[in-house]
This record gives sequence, structure tokens and C-alpha cells, in this order.
Amino acid sequence: MQITVGVADMQVSNNPQAVLVTHSLGSCIGVAVYDPQVRVGGILHYMLPESSLDGNKNTNKPVMFADTISPLLFKECYRYGAIKSRMIVKIAGGSQIMDSGCFFNIGKRNYAALRKIFLRNNVLIKNEDIGGFSPRTLYLQISTGKVWVKITGEGERLL
Amino acid sequence: MMKIDISHMLPDIKSLPPFPEVAQKVIATLDDPEVGIQELVEIVQYDPNLTANILKMANSAYFGFPREVHSLNQALLYLGTQNLFKIIIASGATRLYGRCCNGYILDQGELWRHSVSTAIMASVISRWLGGQDGALLFTAALLHDIGKLVLDYYVHDAFAEIMALVKEGNYAFQEAERAVIGVDHATVGGEIARQWNFPDKIRLAIAYHHLETPEALKNDLALLVYLADLLVIILGTNQGVDGLAYRGHPQVMKHFGLRVRHLEQLLALFWPEMQKAQEFFDLDFRV
Repeated sequence: MQITVGVADMQVSNNPQAVLVTHSLGSCIGVAVYDPQVRVGGILHYMLPESSLDGNKNTNKPVMFADTISPLLFKECYRYGAIKSRMIVKIAGGSQIMDSGCFFNIGKRNYAALRKIFLRNNVLIKNEDIGGFSPRTLYLQISTGKVWVKITGEGERLL
Repeated sequence: MMKIDISHMLPDIKSLPPFPEVAQKVIATLDDPEVGIQELVEIVQYDPNLTANILKMANSAYFGFPREVHSLNQALLYLGTQNLFKIIIASGATRLYGRCCNGYILDQGELWRHSVSTAIMASVISRWLGGQDGALLFTAALLHDIGKLVLDYYVHDAFAEIMALVKEGNYAFQEAERAVIGVDHATVGGEIARQWNFPDKIRLAIAYHHLETPEALKNDLALLVYLADLLVIILGTNQGVDGLAYRGHPQVMKHFGLRVRHLEQLLALFWPEMQKAQEFFDLDFRV
């Protein structure tokens, strides 16, 4: 059973039949978290680095911005019995266009913002697939915790 | 692969499914303010699929009317000509975009999704800049990648060579198309627009949408379509193998007086608009 995570969206599950998937990761970043002991995991797909961009958006759509997502995803997993010290974090996305002027480097800024917020909250990234010119699809299998990405024209890669 | 001339692609262009007559007529009149709306109503009302699409869109969150729209006349009254044109053209275009593009590795519906995303982003940018949000811009943005429908076969055959230039030669995807095949999808799109007698403004916006000629940098419509396309490409709406392999031109920032932060604001504004526009994705493909 596939559960689709939209853009600026988050899904958490402990259903052993479920595979979470998020499509169209360009400059956006998909964050997959998983606690192997209680077999609960989630994917969050955020769009932009900073919620200060728009005061209203901050409250309406916290899943849109790197600096407001972290507590959301972790707290939702805790409700299912997950514990922070056991949780494995893997991320994918942050692609870039060809940009010599650094006007369009939202992917890079998204990645930097996430690193900063994770550092502040003592979250380690176990594995990542970041950057390049390709959009990605990110998967998380709940029964095993397996995380992988699919890249058009290149196939699948385990994270 | 031997390079070919655009004239060799005319048979391919002729074999594309034609635009429905009513959509052709609407596009031909896009830069003419004196449009015979009554004449369009006459044609639309005898086309049950198109009528159904107009009612479906008129009741969508995208147009956001407070009351349910039941009849064609009501829809025309509420929508106004520009929105009616958008729906007629989008309905007509679904016939073209209903197929897969194996060369670009796009599944069925993915090019349509990118095209609608670009059209919605173009509207968001134009409104944000305080400009027009009419059917002309919508159409140019919706049809900007139409050349991919024809170039697809050639990209398929030249795939390895194109990808080598993109991955190892720092070529943008359309530059690699030109280097290997001889023409790129923007040029082919412009030729399709010529064959179909689209107005010059739309033809040029399609042909210039990667800003490869000096004239393109003076063409407002082309610059808007370029920026809309680029922003939704950055977001990841282009699921094809060309992905994000396109160039960011700083000139567009200067032209519209934009800063990095503004681009992020535009993306934040775009996403809710896109979610309201889901009805675009289940328009009747048989129209």
C-alpha cells in the first residue's frame, strides 16, 4: 500500500504494509525518519528554507519551510512510540538548475537551512542523496525501514 | 547522429493530432480585443465534452465562485471571456498532451502536469508584478513545451549522445538537443505554432522560452514564460530526464526587478494556487 506525501506535506505511519512515497523533489527536500524498534516512520516534503518569508505561511503551512518542520515530524513519530535517540534520518532532493549567478540556488539554500536546524537540535543525518540536475522520488518502507530514491533515466538507489 | 534541419520535421508536425476547431479559433483571436463571444457560445453549446469541461472548471476552487454554476450561460457570465478562453484552450490541449514522451522519459500526463504548472506559475508571477493575467500569457505558458511532442522521437534516438553532453559537457538540455539533433524543442515548438497559425506573440514566446537569442531578452511574454518554466522546473515539476538541466539567466531578475527572496515568495504563492487547480488534471482527454 502506497501512501503519497504531497509537496509541503507530511505523513507518518506504523502500518507494516505501507510504503511512503514523495514525488517531484527538485529543489525541495524529502526527510525520511524511522525508528527500527517500534517500526514507525515518516516522510516530510518541504519547499523553502525560511518561514520568515511570509508571516502567515508560518502558522498556516509549517510543513513548507525547513526551519519549522523538524519538531512536527519527530513529534508525530513520538505519538507512535518512537524515541529520538533511535530514529534514523535520511534525506534526498535539493537539486539545482545551472546557475552561474546564484540567483536560483534554492536547492542549496534548502539543504543549508536543514543542516543548520538539525545541528541545533542534535539530529544526525545517516545518509543523503542531494544536489545534481535530476528530480527525485523518495520511498520509505515501514516494515523494514528501507529508504530509496528513484531518478528518471537512472533507476533506483538505496539510501 | 546526423544533424537535421527543421524542415525535415514538417511531416512529424503534420501528424500531430490537430487542435479542436473551437480552440484554434480562440487562439487565433487572442491578441484581438474584438472577439465574437457570441459566435464562440454558438459553437461551444453543441460540444457536450467542452461544455462539461467548462462547467467543471467554472465550479473549481481555482476560479472560486461562491455559488454552483449549472448552465453554460451562467458559466460565461461568471467566468468572463479571458477565463473562458483559458478553459477552451486547456481542453483542446489535453488531446495533444495525453500521450507519453518516451524520449524525455515522461509518463502519460507528466508533460501536461508540467505545462499546467507553468501556466499557473505564469499567472502568479504576472499578478504579483501587477500585470495582466489573461489568456494570452496562459496559452503561451501552457504550450511552451509543445515542441517536445515532436522532438521526442529524435531525443529517443540520440539519447546517449545528449546525456553525455549534459552530464560531462555542462550543456543545458536544449543546448545538447541542438548540438546533437540540430534543433531544440523551443525552435520546434515555434514551428508548430507557425504551422497552426498561432498569433506571433505566442509563437515567439514558445520559440524563445529558453532565452537563446538577444531578441528574447526584450520580449516580455517570452521572459515571463521563461521565468515561470524555470521556477516550476526548480520545484521539480518536470519529471523528465531533462529535469533541472536548464540555465538560470540573471538578466530575467534585472528585467523584472527581482531578488532571490522574491523567487521564494513566488514559489510559496504558487503552491496553494496549484492545489486549487486540480480540476485541470482531470479535464476530459477525449475533447
